[in-house]
Amino acid sequence: MDHFPTNWGRPRNDAQDLYNTYPLHQRPNNTPKDVFADGVQRTQQPIVTGTSILAILYKDGIMMAADTLASYGSLSRFKTIQRLQSVGENTVIGASGDMSDFQYVQSILEELMIEEFTANDQNELGPAEIHEYLSRVYYARRSKMNPLWNSVLVGGKKDGKRFLAYVDLLGTTYSASTLATGYGAYIALPLLRSAVEGREDELTEEQAQKLLTDCMRVLFYRDARSLDKFQIAKVTDEGVVISDPIKLDTTWGFAEKIRGYGPQTQ
Amino acid sequence: MPDGSFSHPQQRSFNPYTENGGTILAIAGADFTVIAGDTRQSEGYSIQTRYAPKVFRLTDRAVLAVNGFAADGNMFVKKVKQRLEWYRHAHAKDMPLRAIARLIQTMLYAQRFFPYYVYNILGGIEEDGTGAVYSFDPVGSYEREACRAAGAAQSLVQPFLDNQIYFKNQQAAPGQSHPLHLPLSDVLSIVIDSFTSATERHIEVGDGLEMYVVLAKGRSAQGLEGGRGVQELTTRTDGDRVFVIRRELKKD
Amino acid sequence: MTSIGTGYDLSASTYSPDGRIFQVEYANKAVENSGTVIGLKVKDGIVFAVEKLIHSKLLVPEANKRIQTIDRHIGMATAGYLADGRQIANRARDEASNYRETYRTPPPLTELVTRLRLYVQAYTLYSSVRPFGCSTVIGAIDKNGPSLYVVEPSGIAYGYNGAAVGKGRQLAKTELEKLKLSELTTREAVFEAARIIYLVHDDAKEKEFELEMSWIGDESGGIHLPVPKDLHQEAEQKAKDALENFD
Repeated sequence: MDHFPTNWGRPRNDAQDLYNTYPLHQRPNNTPKDVFADGVQRTQQPIVTGTSILAILYKDGIMMAADTLASYGSLSRFKTIQRLQSVGENTVIGASGDMSDFQYVQSILEELMIEEFTANDQNELGPAEIHEYLSRVYYARRSKMNPLWNSVLVGGKKDGKRFLAYVDLLGTTYSASTLATGYGAYIALPLLRSAVEGREDELTEEQAQKLLTDCMRVLFYRDARSLDKFQIAKVTDEGVVISDPIKLDTTWGFAEKIRGYGPQTQ
Repeated sequence: MPDGSFSHPQQRSFNPYTENGGTILAIAGADFTVIAGDTRQSEGYSIQTRYAPKVFRLTDRAVLAVNGFAADGNMFVKKVKQRLEWYRHAHAKDMPLRAIARLIQTMLYAQRFFPYYVYNILGGIEEDGTGAVYSFDPVGSYEREACRAAGAAQSLVQPFLDNQIYFKNQQAAPGQSHPLHLPLSDVLSIVIDSFTSATERHIEVGDGLEMYVVLAKGRSAQGLEGGRGVQELTTRTDGDRVFVIRRELKKD
Repeated sequence: MTSIGTGYDLSASTYSPDGRIFQVEYANKAVENSGTVIGLKVKDGIVFAVEKLIHSKLLVPEANKRIQTIDRHIGMATAGYLADGRQIANRARDEASNYRETYRTPPPLTELVTRLRLYVQAYTLYSSVRPFGCSTVIGAIDKNGPSLYVVEPSGIAYGYNGAAVGKGRQLAKTELEKLKLSELTTREAVFEAARIIYLVHDDAKEKEFELEMSWIGDESGGIHLPVPKDLHQEAEQKAKDALENFD
């Protein structure tokens, strides 16, 4: 309510509203004054999208992988987009879904990290705090029916503790030793689980890197919105390292023998 | 037909809810309550994680289980815990169970037109020392009961409980009557059987089982202390006590 | 003082007949009574040093910092009322964040100082407010390299190669002028800054003080950070030694 009596609505009038059935906010002249209110557009679907993100725990920390493609529908629109982002010294995030929403999230995280830096209190946000913050942002936006259209993985290592968790456009969160978004959850996650679950403290960096590379290759073969160029991020006690784009080695020789794909016509 | 033309106006709208599977259940005894839930979180046919708790200790005598849309559930638990902390700061004691139940109704109904898509079951010990279970619908309707199951396998578990706890469709022996309350060991067996059965027949139930046991002040913890997978969460033995028992469930 | 009793010093919105705003001049007095603050712009960076006067032994060492961080690459030190200095720092942070949001790039210091001085100047216009009782030494490394400014209570801002405000500013300025600032490295400047603060500190008049130093340079990765502990101690020790030899 405001302080302008003209906006308080008519005084209760028994002849007109015998049982006071008008909810207060529906009373005349008490409507929102925002003339653009009806014209507000909200995200109803993602436009430029990124596909799966994969992440696993391993002996020295966490590792995450994502290809560098941002699609416009079925068009491979941007082929050198980085979808992995370090946040501070101990955290990396990877996003699938709408890339413009992800860029917005990157900018608010940048603002958050600067705010924390200027506080100068020797306290740095770790992966758990970043994940909690993101989950609040995503849940708040879905509750306004104006979601940020992403599935995000947050990983990191701080004070010797590994962290890996998920958050999406609905604000749904969970944590596990292997995580994947998008098609990765169908195609790569079973492979990751059978290789990692129960061996989180034994898997070496080389094994982890090979596992993720193999899964990215499988995804490239089957996911039509993926690319054979990807990046791997790792977070260890030494901090965050995001690799340069890696090109997958793939074999297509078998395709010629497939009827209807190769040169045969019958 | 979505043929790309504008002749048929299309409406797409964002669905702010999802369903994350799992099942919860609570049974009240004479001077104890058991509140349990599985730990699987899923969406569609995908298991998101094998360990996402759905049962939370609120105070030394109250435990809340939440089931439905996980994001709403976590947020709701967070807000209930915050309200209970404020209550502690204002009154220097924990909120009584029946007051927590009414608080939960108020908080759920406040969201009547954009509900928390969550089924709540609150269990614990009342001020008079009796075991109690309160169950809620997503908009705050609630009642006190002796037992309740909710969630994905509610339709599998509740009839079993009706039979085993309320003795529905059971005839007492001539000259005898059904017991009003079962002993703790029987209740724990029923809970474990409920979840192993639900795991067998429902794809969204499995992975792990967490059973919280709240004991009334002065009641012996015989058979609980030092048991397999048992952990005490309270630090004092001279008040109500909370234990948690963790068991594996099938992961397929 | 000529202003007292004339009635022209009661409000920042009133000029005296000879065109002065006494409230602003009083604000400058508040700065002059403060511990010395210096800023050095050198070849590859910026160094701040503060003579933080300790008015009570009960104060926690290293608390109540007079050097504050505005953005990753921007630092500032204030002389005068610390509470006012914090208000200015908060405003500067808001402006820096606002600039980043609009242009998606780190704010250049010239732009930030322009906005900050407009803010400070606004407090010299109205009878309902008092001007800020502090001078701000603000420095950064931005796309144009190192730069250093002082924003005064009047809202005026000058760029400097070496800046000094507070009690010991006169002596400090003389010392700064002797240095070849444009040839110094940031590390060398730390030693000079420490030496100057110890030199201008008046043992006879003042009680204890704490030396506070920060830098922005290649060694700090272009980021505003406190001078590392070991370097700080080394510079402080050298400053003390130099003082004894000087006497």
